[in-house]
Amino acid sequence: MISPQQHLAPERLHPSLWRASQLAHSSARCVDTGYPTLSSQLPGGGWPTGTLVDLLLQQAGIGELRLLRPALAAAASRRIVLLQPPHAPQALALAALGLPPSQLVWIRSTRSADTLWAAEQVLRSGSCGALLLWQNHARSESLRRLHLAAQSGETLFFMMRPLSSAQDASPSPLRLSLRPAAGGLDIGFVKRRGPQRDAPLFLPLDRPLTPSVLQQHHASLDRPLSVPLATRGVLPELVQ
Amino acid sequence: MLEQERVLAVSPLAHAAGVQVGMRRGGVLMLMPEARLVERDLAKEAEALHAVAMALLQYTPLLAQAEESTLLLDIGASLRLFGGIGRLCRQVRANLRTLGFSGALSCAPTARGAWMLARRNAGRAVKMASLVRRLDRLPGTLAPPARPFATWFEGIGCFNLGDMRRLPRPGLQRRCGRPLLDMLDAAYGMTPELFEWIAAPTTFHAKLELFDRVEQADALLHAAQRLLLQLTGWLCAHQLAVARITFYLEHERGKVARAPTLVDIALAEATWRDEHLVRLLKERLAKLELDAPVIGLALEALQVEPMAPPSESLFPEPGGSEEDRVRMFELLVARLGPENVLQAAPHADYRPELANAWVPVQQSIRESWRNAQLPGDLHSFPRPAWLLAKPIALLMRNHRPFYGSPLKMTSTPERIEAGWWNQIQTRDYFIAEGQDHALYWVYRERITGAHADLEPRWFLHGLFA
Repeated sequence: MISPQQHLAPERLHPSLWRASQLAHSSARCVDTGYPTLSSQLPGGGWPTGTLVDLLLQQAGIGELRLLRPALAAAASRRIVLLQPPHAPQALALAALGLPPSQLVWIRSTRSADTLWAAEQVLRSGSCGALLLWQNHARSESLRRLHLAAQSGETLFFMMRPLSSAQDASPSPLRLSLRPAAGGLDIGFVKRRGPQRDAPLFLPLDRPLTPSVLQQHHASLDRPLSVPLATRGVLPELVQ
Repeated sequence: MLEQERVLAVSPLAHAAGVQVGMRRGGVLMLMPEARLVERDLAKEAEALHAVAMALLQYTPLLAQAEESTLLLDIGASLRLFGGIGRLCRQVRANLRTLGFSGALSCAPTARGAWMLARRNAGRAVKMASLVRRLDRLPGTLAPPARPFATWFEGIGCFNLGDMRRLPRPGLQRRCGRPLLDMLDAAYGMTPELFEWIAAPTTFHAKLELFDRVEQADALLHAAQRLLLQLTGWLCAHQLAVARITFYLEHERGKVARAPTLVDIALAEATWRDEHLVRLLKERLAKLELDAPVIGLALEALQVEPMAPPSESLFPEPGGSEEDRVRMFELLVARLGPENVLQAAPHADYRPELANAWVPVQQSIRESWRNAQLPGDLHSFPRPAWLLAKPIALLMRNHRPFYGSPLKMTSTPERIEAGWWNQIQTRDYFIAEGQDHALYWVYRERITGAHADLEPRWFLHGLFA
């Protein structure tokens, strides 16, 4: 027996309908973010594949790759393409994050049109596990085009843009803003298929390394000693 | 077009002006003074027919040349592969258009029947009965051996092939000779037909003269497509796949002879289909800058290997196959250049700039070599994901390095001292945290020797992403 309450549930009418107070059911396959607190806030319970996911960064190098690490490691059975990253990616660091160097591809281009073309080719071919694209200025028609290209495959597609683009419209169904915080990241939900959330979500991230590990592997640093050594028995002339 | 001072073929524009087949040169010039008169060139015609034959070899190896610039294809064995007669005809027609020719296309159960239908552009006949019906309606002078007797046939009221077939055979043979009867029998499927099939040459080399001087490289794509189409046919005939091709762009010979420009396309994986080659060529031509107009184009297949038919898996892999990926990277390399599509090739070196090496994606690296270059315990080396191309010298404020905000060291130092053999580095690396909680990889240059008493200098070298 279906209660009237259930009968009126919008998702029973059409799978792409949802109440404003609840999270949407994602029709795309989702990859677990690896952080349960974040997954519970995303429609579908993870990063959607075959969709443009907009990540708005305060600046480069605030922990964006550590945030994506579990999802990228899951996609690393196929190539991971870094398109126009802000600086040279370091294979050793990415290997420590769990991304094998053999699966990494770094694409550079001098013109923005070439960058967008390359992104579209990667998405349309669908033979790569993930595409990470850094772009400072993107027009809305090129975003729409990339979103369409992403829908033709199951590639994880993250687009990293500066925080200032949060005001511009985007066809992306999931837009998150990332700001560094003590010991992790503050994630703001700019746009998601679900209830609006104003308070940012604090997500603790692993620090790159704990100092104690360092000390085990490396010789201690010679520092100027505070107490001068007492010369014992040996004549100062001989020491010099 | 003229042959022996008589008009042989006219363009639609000339036809509209009143020029007709059979006119003399003077008559044409009177009707249409601006007309361009071209002398018929049999060698060029033969070359064009050969080019079409090469391109069509991709549909069947049984291809023969017949009278009056006709090609006969035995497609009996190819129907299933290409999806039926209709689709095959469409493909052939599209290929002809790409090659820049127009043609009449017909199908029939007998080769001679198809030849006759094609000469009158009388469509397709799939069944023997419909072929007989269609052939009976065709004019009798269509068969070349009957042409000398055209007036006699007209005189006895024998206008089409059907009438001719009803004439008594011995009499017809006595008057017109054996060839006419043979041709009729062959068309109506009464005697078997024998052909000399065209054999593809053992090496491939195709040339094309352009109609105009081309100054823009991307305008050459259409002409190059014609050559690629011929290459496709040749490859299919020999069951080969091509791994490297070269285009020669021939320049106009001005005061100095100019060597042709080469466009070399090497493939990671051999192919025998032209779509991928066309896409690669498009990107290469878009980048090419011509220093002189091009008047001719030649294509040579330099490296071929046996064709490996695709192995279809029962459950296709989600998201494209290995070949798709290789092709995608080839396309990216063609447009962006090999130095911009890179894969990681880490080196076992303590100096971070040298350890972090990237090489073109098409270079093959053995997996065992790559693994041997990585340190055993990856986590013992704290490395930032982003490495600055050039370390940034940091300002000092209150004896602390300053980058946007004062930096606070949050780790013990890692001393790197290596490279005495070429570039010596003596540095102490720290992980530093700014007031905005972003993590930075900074180092202090250790100064040894004479300047040991100088202030230590700090540099920013990476960002922990």
